[in-house]
Amino acid sequence: MSEVPQTVIKMRGISKRFNGLVANDNIDFDLRRGEIHALLGENGAGKTTLMNILSGMYQPDEGEIYVKGKEVKITSPEDSLNLGIGMVYQHLSLVPTLSVLENILLGTSKRFFLPKKHTEKKFEETTKHYGLSVDPDTEICQLSAGEQQRVEIVKLFYRGSEVLVLDEPTSVLAPLEVEDFFKVLKNVTKAGKSVIFITHKLEEAIRISDRITVLRQGEKVGEIDLKAVAGKKEGEPLGEEIVRMMFKDEEAKFVEGIKKAPKKTLDRAVLTLEGVTAKNDRGVEALRRVSFSLHRGEVLGIAGVDGNGQKELAEVIVGQHKVSSGKIVLNQSDITNKSVKFINERGVFYVTEDRIEEGCVSNLSLADNAILRCYKKEPFSKRGMLLNLEAIKEYGNELIKNFSIKAPNAEALVRTLSGGNIQKLILAREFSQKPIVLVCNKPTHGLDVMTTQFIRNEIRTQSARGVSVLLISSDLDEIMEVSDRIGVLFKGELMDILPNKGTTKEEMGRLMLGLTDKGK
Amino acid sequence: MKLKKIILPAIGPIFAILAALMVGGVILFIMGLNPVRAYSELFKLGMGTYLGITESLKKMAPLLIMSAGLIIVFRAGIWNIGGDGQFLIGAIFVGGIAPLLVNEFPPYLYFSILGLVGFFGGAMWVVIPAMLKAKYQINEIIITMMMNFVALNFTAYLVKGPLIAHPGRYPQTIILPLEKRLPLIPFTEIHIGLIVGLIAIILVHYFVRRTTWGYEFRLLGENKKAAFYAGLNIKKVTILAMLISGGFAGLAGANDVLGIKGSFQGEWNPGYAFSAIPLVFLARFNGFAVIPLAYFFSFLAIGGEFMSRAANVPVFFVHVIEALMLIFFGLSEYIQKKGKLFWKF
Repeated sequence: MSEVPQTVIKMRGISKRFNGLVANDNIDFDLRRGEIHALLGENGAGKTTLMNILSGMYQPDEGEIYVKGKEVKITSPEDSLNLGIGMVYQHLSLVPTLSVLENILLGTSKRFFLPKKHTEKKFEETTKHYGLSVDPDTEICQLSAGEQQRVEIVKLFYRGSEVLVLDEPTSVLAPLEVEDFFKVLKNVTKAGKSVIFITHKLEEAIRISDRITVLRQGEKVGEIDLKAVAGKKEGEPLGEEIVRMMFKDEEAKFVEGIKKAPKKTLDRAVLTLEGVTAKNDRGVEALRRVSFSLHRGEVLGIAGVDGNGQKELAEVIVGQHKVSSGKIVLNQSDITNKSVKFINERGVFYVTEDRIEEGCVSNLSLADNAILRCYKKEPFSKRGMLLNLEAIKEYGNELIKNFSIKAPNAEALVRTLSGGNIQKLILAREFSQKPIVLVCNKPTHGLDVMTTQFIRNEIRTQSARGVSVLLISSDLDEIMEVSDRIGVLFKGELMDILPNKGTTKEEMGRLMLGLTDKGK
Repeated sequence: MKLKKIILPAIGPIFAILAALMVGGVILFIMGLNPVRAYSELFKLGMGTYLGITESLKKMAPLLIMSAGLIIVFRAGIWNIGGDGQFLIGAIFVGGIAPLLVNEFPPYLYFSILGLVGFFGGAMWVVIPAMLKAKYQINEIIITMMMNFVALNFTAYLVKGPLIAHPGRYPQTIILPLEKRLPLIPFTEIHIGLIVGLIAIILVHYFVRRTTWGYEFRLLGENKKAAFYAGLNIKKVTILAMLISGGFAGLAGANDVLGIKGSFQGEWNPGYAFSAIPLVFLARFNGFAVIPLAYFFSFLAIGGEFMSRAANVPVFFVHVIEALMLIFFGLSEYIQKKGKLFWKF
């Protein structure tokens, strides 16, 4: 390219502290027109803080921001929107019962009647221009996560955004949707818009972006121009170089982890499902005649694209969801449609995917959350009546220590903890009560590499102790790294259970899309 | 450190009280009354006379007892606002049954049984809303409130019909002789209901924090989904919390019949719940904070009555101050949370 790429956004010396904790330390960041710039780093590295400063959610303590060469003060999200900076958050902000078009109109029109005709035309132009196909008249709740994300992006372009800031955009997407999404990004940049892509997934950053800025503990530790590197053609080492930037050296080794050798023989069955069928909350069959056995000390991975009955499978086992037909047996005793307490008392523990809303009580202290499963037992209460506050506090501190949860003390409210530490707390709670069966639904979803690795190691340790683990996850790498056997859920049916040996990702991928070659 | 823990949460309510008095003063001024005179009468008569202090302390008892129940039910995230109905049912139970027992039992047993009768009556009145809430998730606010009107008319019917002491005369249950009412605290003219109230509120304070039941109430109130996940029997806990709160309201009814009135009279409805509800919120569900606030509320009620006579201010003016207190309390919560006044336009 002959023309010099114009810098759209320039951030200089940005620092931000929260109660003495440094979130951003003297960070410089540039975004050129028409580029995809990845912001890579662990959870807590300061990516989101930096972008929240750009979008006006926070004010920097130090530093300047220039948009198209002019210094600006961004004091509110509205300011940044007016400057052409649009942010798409992890949790999408659409109204589910309104149509796509109505969502796009929200907040844009000051007139009493919605200017529908005019909008429709402009909407069509926008979608065509960027190759974003969305039907304007469907309701948001009928769209998949990927489509909803597209609506968010169209919304921002409709409002004239020049710069898109995407916060972990692929975390809500299925593998195939990620491909589509990357295509959209390419189209968008071709049309002259710029994209900032916040991620902690190294592969994605390398695949999609033009440049990568790496943050670690609030500091900028490197900036890589992928085009320049590609010219040199060094191949492999690039990824490793970035990993070294993201973590300190000794941590990098830890991240690699150990591949688990699958068990050769199966121990006795601990949990058996026979033809389990269950309806979801809308009355549609979410599980269809699911049968399998979970054996002592094994990790059974359940793969599948999100929304194929994973949640129902987990909840049916732990008693949170009713079975409409079929049988669930735990150690020879029938636990079908028994209460959560009944099943839990018999050794079934559950790491829910919804860690904030369901897995913890954010307004209670860490210690209070730690005893969620055992508050009626000694020493936490006397005869199940009087709580022993000292023992509870001690137990909270013990969990903090054993699972290296980052919290000031056991009396800290859970809502003050980060997502990764909340997940560690939940894990600590569920793992520490001598479980027989552990049901883990997406235990590492949205967490950084360090925590993810920690959690996977814990799962392995548990299975080595003889605990049977049902690991439900949409992350194939995770399933293949940890499980002994792997089953695939597709539209509520368990497709097949394969040993985790000689099974390739492609095979799994086919099963996840509902293609079997059982006929062969 | 310890002192800081007490003072910081108290700032909001204190601010609310002062601001409410100030705005109330402006309202008095607009009404053409002299706020300085009204307030000086209020404080002088309410806090500065033997009668004012005694009456205020007496009036604290039902507020404290009712607040004890409300702390539990609000902690469980359930809005039982039918305390007045439950109070009346508890009171009429006691008013109807007390004359039958009056000479049968030694005093301690007599009062204990009647306390239980009141508790039972109040709890009974909450059974229907509790079942509807637990079983069908029907909104308890509406049902408990509606039950207030039913209770009002039902007790009126009872006291004018089946339970009337002397048919044809003033509708009231048989009046208990003075010596069969709650004994007085030595050297005072305050009956021991105040002590019962203090014990109830402090017990509940620790009950919520220190027992497994209290823990279950807190779990349910803070996060229903997590409570289900933890294996709580949500129906049972919901019903239990509501029954306890209804029971305390009924006990407050027993207190008033046995300690003050000596019978259930006419279409009686003191409306304690609508003072106790804001009170419990101002106290942030803290039992110890309820005590001074309950005193202040009863002082307002008693002092307000005196003030209305002395300074010609309507009796209902104290309700204006209570309402203003709640508004300013909400405002101070907002300011403390956001660190600023109002959002930016």
